[in-house]
Amino acid sequence: MTAGLVAASPRQRNHLEMATFALGEDRMGIPIDQVDEIHHPLDLTPVPHAPPCVRGVMNLRGEVVTVIDPRVILGYPPAVVTRQTCNMVVRWGGERVGLLVDRIGDVVSVGREGIEPPPANVAQTLGRFLRGVCKLDTGVLAILDVEQLLALDEEAVAPRNSAVAASAKAGPS
Amino acid sequence: MSLDDKDIIAEFVVESREHLADIENELLAIEACGENIDGDLVNKVFRAVHSIKGAAGFFGFSQVQGLAHELENVLNLIRNRKLVPTSPVTDVLLRAADRLRGMIEDVEHSNDVDVSEHVAELRAVAAGEPAFAPPTVAELTSSEHEEAPDPERQLQVVENLVARAATEGATAGPAPAAVPRPASSAAAPREAGTAEAAPRESKSSAPSPLGETSIRVAVNILDRLMTLAGELVLARNQLLQTASTADSSAWGAVVARVNQVTSELQETIMQTRLQPIGAVFSRFPRVIRDLSSALGKQCQLTIEGQEVELDKSIIEAIGDPLTHLVRNAVDHGIEAPEARVKAGKPPAGTVALRAFHQAGKVSIQIHDDGRGIDAARLKEKAVAQGILTPEQARAMSDREALLLIFRPGLSTADKVTSVSGRGVGMDVVKTNIERLGGTVAVDTQLGRGTTIDVRLPLTLAIVPALIVRCCGQRYAIPQANIRELVRVKSRDAAKSFERIQGAEVFHLRETLLPLVRLDAALDRGEPRDAPAAKALNIIVVEAGSLRYGLVVEGLCDSEEIVVKPLGRHMKRCACLAGATILGDGKVALILDIAGIASHMRLAMPETESAADASGSGALGETQSLLLFTNHPSEYFGIPMELVARLERVRTDQIDRLGGQQILQYRGGTLPLFSLEDGVECKARPQASKVYVAVFATAEREAGLIVPEIIDIRSVPTRVDTETFRQPGITGSLVFERMTVRLVDLHELARKLRPDWYQSRSAVPTPNGAAPRILVAEDSDFFRKQLIGFFAAEGYEVQAAEDGAAAWDLLADPANRFDAVVTDIEMPNLTGLELARRIRGDARFADLPIIAVTSLAGDDDIRRGLQAGINEYHVKLDREQLMAATARLLKASLPRAASRSKP
Repeated sequence: MTAGLVAASPRQRNHLEMATFALGEDRMGIPIDQVDEIHHPLDLTPVPHAPPCVRGVMNLRGEVVTVIDPRVILGYPPAVVTRQTCNMVVRWGGERVGLLVDRIGDVVSVGREGIEPPPANVAQTLGRFLRGVCKLDTGVLAILDVEQLLALDEEAVAPRNSAVAASAKAGPS
Repeated sequence: MSLDDKDIIAEFVVESREHLADIENELLAIEACGENIDGDLVNKVFRAVHSIKGAAGFFGFSQVQGLAHELENVLNLIRNRKLVPTSPVTDVLLRAADRLRGMIEDVEHSNDVDVSEHVAELRAVAAGEPAFAPPTVAELTSSEHEEAPDPERQLQVVENLVARAATEGATAGPAPAAVPRPASSAAAPREAGTAEAAPRESKSSAPSPLGETSIRVAVNILDRLMTLAGELVLARNQLLQTASTADSSAWGAVVARVNQVTSELQETIMQTRLQPIGAVFSRFPRVIRDLSSALGKQCQLTIEGQEVELDKSIIEAIGDPLTHLVRNAVDHGIEAPEARVKAGKPPAGTVALRAFHQAGKVSIQIHDDGRGIDAARLKEKAVAQGILTPEQARAMSDREALLLIFRPGLSTADKVTSVSGRGVGMDVVKTNIERLGGTVAVDTQLGRGTTIDVRLPLTLAIVPALIVRCCGQRYAIPQANIRELVRVKSRDAAKSFERIQGAEVFHLRETLLPLVRLDAALDRGEPRDAPAAKALNIIVVEAGSLRYGLVVEGLCDSEEIVVKPLGRHMKRCACLAGATILGDGKVALILDIAGIASHMRLAMPETESAADASGSGALGETQSLLLFTNHPSEYFGIPMELVARLERVRTDQIDRLGGQQILQYRGGTLPLFSLEDGVECKARPQASKVYVAVFATAEREAGLIVPEIIDIRSVPTRVDTETFRQPGITGSLVFERMTVRLVDLHELARKLRPDWYQSRSAVPTPNGAAPRILVAEDSDFFRKQLIGFFAAEGYEVQAAEDGAAAWDLLADPANRFDAVVTDIEMPNLTGLELARRIRGDARFADLPIIAVTSLAGDDDIRRGLQAGINEYHVKLDREQLMAATARLLKASLPRAASRSKP
């Protein structure tokens, strides 16, 4: 099932429209123009030696798409797939990547002036993955930075098996 | 700038690029013609520059316009035969064309570029400055005119001129390839003037390509076509799958038709992506020309097979590696002209580029007739850099040594020139070629030349593959990597699978192949140490020069799969080459055969055998072994020298007494041992008759029950002392596909009848220290054994690898030895010579010398005793050896002590 994402109103320059979702207890959002589609998780093929955040790859209408568990990147325990789990396919530098989220929320329009830097305690752990936070009626929404989340720095991509890392390092860049 | 302007400028850039694409080779061809100016060719270049000038003016790119204008002037003079395109002139033209090209690439900033230098040069050329005039020809002819018209000399002059024309013509290179137009599948190469020395051309001359119908298509549309073709292939696969299960009568014809059309469509679309490799080759004449002149060498380039076609993506990726290889050939391969002449070669070297189809792949060969690669120097450098140990280098063959050039950091260049060594090493070349699914091999003849052979697959996107099962998932193996499929039944598995030096190998006809279990390689499922109970599927795969067996659970179909890239998060997964979508819509990962090999650290077969040889027995050393089985599936061996007799007895003659087996024998009793009592092995089956190998130990006789004798053979002693080591087994060796464990009779007897053996320790020297033994033995295996024997009894041992080294140790006044135990057959100084030297030195007149040897005929013994050897003993007869040493030392130590007393 693919949820249609139609903006309720024309985009205004001083508002940011976001697709929101839950990762555990936290409410998070991603700018809607980065999201391609959302659907229930499909069959995943596990990938040996992939980084721990990679749950597998899936067939998205002929394209082999990596599916990531953002909880692992953020340091939470890995996601447990329930009936509410959704796969949010985002665009990341020419590639499409699926993010497993625990629950999908509404599309929310947030005024830019309402976006603040994350509070100190959050900034320490999650800081580099967040573009900011904003207060909604229903609580605090953390705005995820997809680039940072999926960034392939050395530690994030270091595969489980160190022999591969060693041999990969020995190979050309 | 408005959006429309951007579009038009983009058009301008594309067109200009096309105009300038061949300008390099055309200028080189013009240079080659020299005075015989080819008007058509010059016109072509002129028109190209003229168009660019015009359009640039329209857009206001004044610098581009200005430079083009000056270029035009010079070209105009040439086409009107008012200027000869000499090398200096061509240099100027080439530089200007390079700059023009650079400006087109960044056309929006081109007005900021300073072209005054080029303009000045071009103007100087146009003005006819003497530096650019062709001096030598005029000088040559005029100097000849000054002398008397001697027919001999005139002939010489003519010969010189012809030779010059030939080398200059060839230096410029042959026909350049045509512009690679995306939508055309075959391109006609253009003629390069009248360069008569130009070697074999692939197609005959066809003038301007105006008659060719072609169309320019955006590359992304072609990519889309390729993707659609791929999807169609998948759908066709699904259809075939469904049709095979359904009632196929009505479906049959339709499905067959769809199948056929899909295949043809896929092939045709693949062809649109095929481009002639000439597109890549065309840059090399310039590369060689510039490089040769920079290094002061003379090189000619021959190109063959420009029309051979490769997938566009491979064409794009192969350029840099090939460039590096060509530069290497000129830099390291071709010698300076003087050196070449001294070596009896023509002063100009030849680099030959050749592309051709072979066995479903495209071969690209780069051959130079230069100095070749010196394997010995390679090994030296490798040892100096710590990449190899001296032993490994010694054991390595020249052919294996050649592969060292692909190791990072290894270069035998005397100095890093500015030309080579820009951080692009042969290791990167090899890796990049392998990334494309290709292989690279090297062949060389010292002093004669080198050939590098690059093999590439025809296309990347759709490949035939075998789908296999492993741990509940399916994986695809590209057919190109598969050599054979082998199915091993459980009962044969034990025989075919072995562990050699810790790694699993398996017997495939005459060879041993490393074995990789896919579940272990991918870290999925339980690693299993022993072969599973069911039959096993082994896929013999190959990547480059490495071949191994991949064990999988099961085989599915062969399919044509569409290769899809894996996301960036998987870029470090060495074992995976991509992914594909199977007929049922599930994703299957594609295995990277080379990646799996490096992940599992599979040594190359050559180095494996070298390691095998170096770690164990000396090559050429053989032993006479009694080969037998205890349980029919397990092979053992005993050195024949230790066997006093072989008897055949009835098992009902064997009695058991107090838990021991004995045999009524020759009026007495002979204690018998069963192998399984002392060594981990399977028990012998019931039989009515068995053999008994009688041997002497601890001053008595005993017998080992040998159920089934295979043979008595002279066997090379390459013993693996690691894998099967346990008390009673000294090690193992592989002989005719059998893994044979060597039984140590003395150890076995000692284990089963410890009461026979008095605890014996070394006779101490008078001052209380342990006696020191010098062991001289070139075989690693026997040396280790001897050291072990003596050390176990409390002696201090030092060992030498040959007689000369032993003498050095002995003669060193800092050392003191109480006895020498030496082999006879050794390099540098034999045991006999060592003994003579020892006896010849007054210090050692009394030193006990024991020879351990496998040769001990009466003559040998006589000679040995004459040379001064005290006693001869058989190798590995530990008891005798230890007893003899103790005995001799008991006599000699007191004498030595009394002599050294002041």
